[in-house]
Amino acid sequence: MSTTTEQQAAAPPQEIPKVAELGTTSGPLKSAAFFIGAYCKEYNEDFMLCKAESRDPGHCLKEGRRVTRCATDLITKMRENCLAQFEAHWGCLEQNNQQYYRCRTQERPLNTCMFEKLGLVKVIPGTPEGQKQIHEIENTTLKRQQK
Amino acid sequence: MSYRQDLPPAGGFESVKYKRNLPLRGPGALVILGGVSAVCAFGFWRIGSGNVERRELKRETTWARIHLVPLLLAEGDRAAYREGLRVAAIEAEIMRDVKGWVPRQDVYNNPRYRSPDGL
Repeated sequence: MSTTTEQQAAAPPQEIPKVAELGTTSGPLKSAAFFIGAYCKEYNEDFMLCKAESRDPGHCLKEGRRVTRCATDLITKMRENCLAQFEAHWGCLEQNNQQYYRCRTQERPLNTCMFEKLGLVKVIPGTPEGQKQIHEIENTTLKRQQK
Repeated sequence: MSYRQDLPPAGGFESVKYKRNLPLRGPGALVILGGVSAVCAFGFWRIGSGNVERRELKRETTWARIHLVPLLLAEGDRAAYREGLRVAAIEAEIMRDVKGWVPRQDVYNNPRYRSPDGL
């Protein structure tokens, strides 16, 4: 087996359109997760329905490209509109074991900014009826131990 | 020989202290019981509200992951698809002399996809 054949085979075939991978690391992704969920709902659901049809990696390439493009679009918009708040929040997540409850002070400005600039709201599905969502409660029982 | 009779002191003996003289012993039993119950009740209430919050936090992290699953899965799928093509090309090259060989053919006669690491 010559190396040239391997290298030629490793390149994706021409008929598949290229898509730039998102390349965002876990901290920013966790920070943006609920906005990705809100902004890319249709594409995500479409993709997951396609995956429910077949788990074959080749089955949902088109839907997958849409998902990635949508997420890239959102991250770009987030960086254009709320860069300072976004970086503060994911920086905090990186310093705090990626736990949301330790970064509420950074999360609140990001949430308000995202709502004002892009109209995206963080909603946690399944919150009990008539109860405040956990990220909206100001004085929580569980707080970070170190101030 | 002169005698000196033993007599009470001038003004007489002081009166015998027969009244109860107990120092203060702290709050009563009912107060202590009530206080301990109140502290315990507050503690259990805090535990309860903390448990409710922990449940909410867990659902928050779960949903954060759920929102990211399509994105991560799509990226992994593209990589797996490319890898499959690469492996198929290598296999076809190796087995080019075997007649009727289909590269990456499933060992089962079933169209359902199985990931290669599951076999």
